[in-house]
Amino acid sequence: MSGPAICVEHLSKSYGDTVAVRDVSFEVQKGEVFALLGPNGAGKTTTVEILEGFRNRSGGTVRTLGVDPADHSTQRWLRTRIGVVLQELAIEPYYSVRQVLSRNAGYYPSPRPIDEVIELIGLREKADERIKKLSGGQQRRLDVGLGIIGNPELLFLDEPTTGLDPAGRRDTWDLIKRLSSAGTTVLLTTHYMDEVEALAQRVAVLFGQEIVASGTPSSIGGRDMGAVTIRFRLPDGVALGALPFPAEPAAGDDHVLIHTEDELRVLHDLTGWALDGGYALAGLSVLRESLEDVYLGLTRSDA
Amino acid sequence: MTSDGTGTLEVPEKGSFRGLSDLPLVARQVGFEQLSFWLNPIGALMTIAFSVVFLILLGATAGTTTVSSYGHIKLIDYYVAGFCGYGVMAACFTILAIQLVNRREMGLLKRLRLSPLPTWMAMSAVLINAMIVAALGVILLLVIGRLGYSVHGPVHWLPFIVTLVVAMLCYSALGVGMSTLVPNADAAGPMISLTFFILVAISGLWFPIAPGSGLATFANFFPIRHLIDALVGSFAGEPGTPVWPWHDLGVMAIWGVGGAIVGLRRWTWSPKRG
Repeated sequence: MSGPAICVEHLSKSYGDTVAVRDVSFEVQKGEVFALLGPNGAGKTTTVEILEGFRNRSGGTVRTLGVDPADHSTQRWLRTRIGVVLQELAIEPYYSVRQVLSRNAGYYPSPRPIDEVIELIGLREKADERIKKLSGGQQRRLDVGLGIIGNPELLFLDEPTTGLDPAGRRDTWDLIKRLSSAGTTVLLTTHYMDEVEALAQRVAVLFGQEIVASGTPSSIGGRDMGAVTIRFRLPDGVALGALPFPAEPAAGDDHVLIHTEDELRVLHDLTGWALDGGYALAGLSVLRESLEDVYLGLTRSDA
Repeated sequence: MTSDGTGTLEVPEKGSFRGLSDLPLVARQVGFEQLSFWLNPIGALMTIAFSVVFLILLGATAGTTTVSSYGHIKLIDYYVAGFCGYGVMAACFTILAIQLVNRREMGLLKRLRLSPLPTWMAMSAVLINAMIVAALGVILLLVIGRLGYSVHGPVHWLPFIVTLVVAMLCYSALGVGMSTLVPNADAAGPMISLTFFILVAISGLWFPIAPGSGLATFANFFPIRHLIDALVGSFAGEPGTPVWPWHDLGVMAIWGVGGAIVGLRRWTWSPKRG
């Protein structure tokens, strides 16, 4: 397929007088991991459901793998090419892991081998166990397995690591990275900023039912352009006021902080001063605003 | 229309019905529905085991009593016929409705909707599964009646079978309709089972109700008494030309259409969480 995997232009969705999504536009390129962030109720799930063809839109244009997901005549075709991991667990409790994967594999023209999926989701030892006997984290991994059993070109992951322990999260991240490197496009919604930084090439933030910022995780919201904090331990025998730049003591330890928007010049002058005076700048680090700081700023500013 | 990276042209295939080539997929889905049903002991208990146990208990007390209002048919014949109806109602109404509510509230219907399995195929498999369970229950009850109580079964097989088929369709439609009226999974068991057992009780399953009585007049408004009457009628009478229970079949058909309309108008694939 040429062109973007997902193309959304001026998407809107209302339920009566309630606006769920307003004038949302973005594109997801083939092979890309794209993250959709936003607080609860911002419209993430509604947007994803429209892209999946589960919900009809009120306005705008949407193309998923080149077709309109609301077009019933191509929905069966589209659904053989997408995989979905829902926000909440949805698995029949009485089947075994192998049985439910086998059932769903039969829905697709070219499914992944069942044993391969079982291996990928780390449930080889539990393959013949009833699903109701699996832990919550294991069930969540099986949920991801059901999402990829059809060997999808495009995978929708709605908070896929919620409820997983740290090891399970890392395993799921590795799986998503492997799928992405093999060419699978991923649309991810999540509340975990570290997940976005680990996985996503691009991110959009939904707030107040519209997109308030988009870009790469390292640049969104002007993150790469804003002020930085330079942090280091105050050299022995040097008073705070003797530093070449105004600084403040860090809370809780003997470090000091310099806030600046001109990090290159400040670092150059600071290290020059230290070399000239024979001072060590122990623990020197440059701290940029975290993605979480940017996200909270974006989703608080209009509140 | 799109082209992939290899330069081949890929045209989205249209339509959700691909004729006879879809039938193996329906059969496969029915197989998984059957597997799911038998792996869940509650479903099997409520349909097959309940009717068998009740029939054995009531059969043990029936003795040689006859039912005058049904042409002096033996009471045990009345019970075998009636519990065949119970099995159909339990499988196609009670279990089906509870199953649909639970699947909806667990998000299973949403997941199914997002899979490539067409809606018509998924729902057909669910309904066919309920009808298979109902049919198995009826066969088991007839065998128990024959072996345990020397009940010879229907005098007129064709009306008996047609009544069962109409009942399966009617109660399946009512089961789908009822499932849309239940707001959440917690309410499914009490709402559906209570409705079912009250209507079964007033419709004369546990004890024959005299025609023309106030209770019979009230129960005649609902489809359960008509199912029992039609099935008992096929056990009664003399061999020869069967008497078709058109009125009973008609009432069931009307209720079935009503259930289907409610189901179609109120159906949702998403959890209600009401």
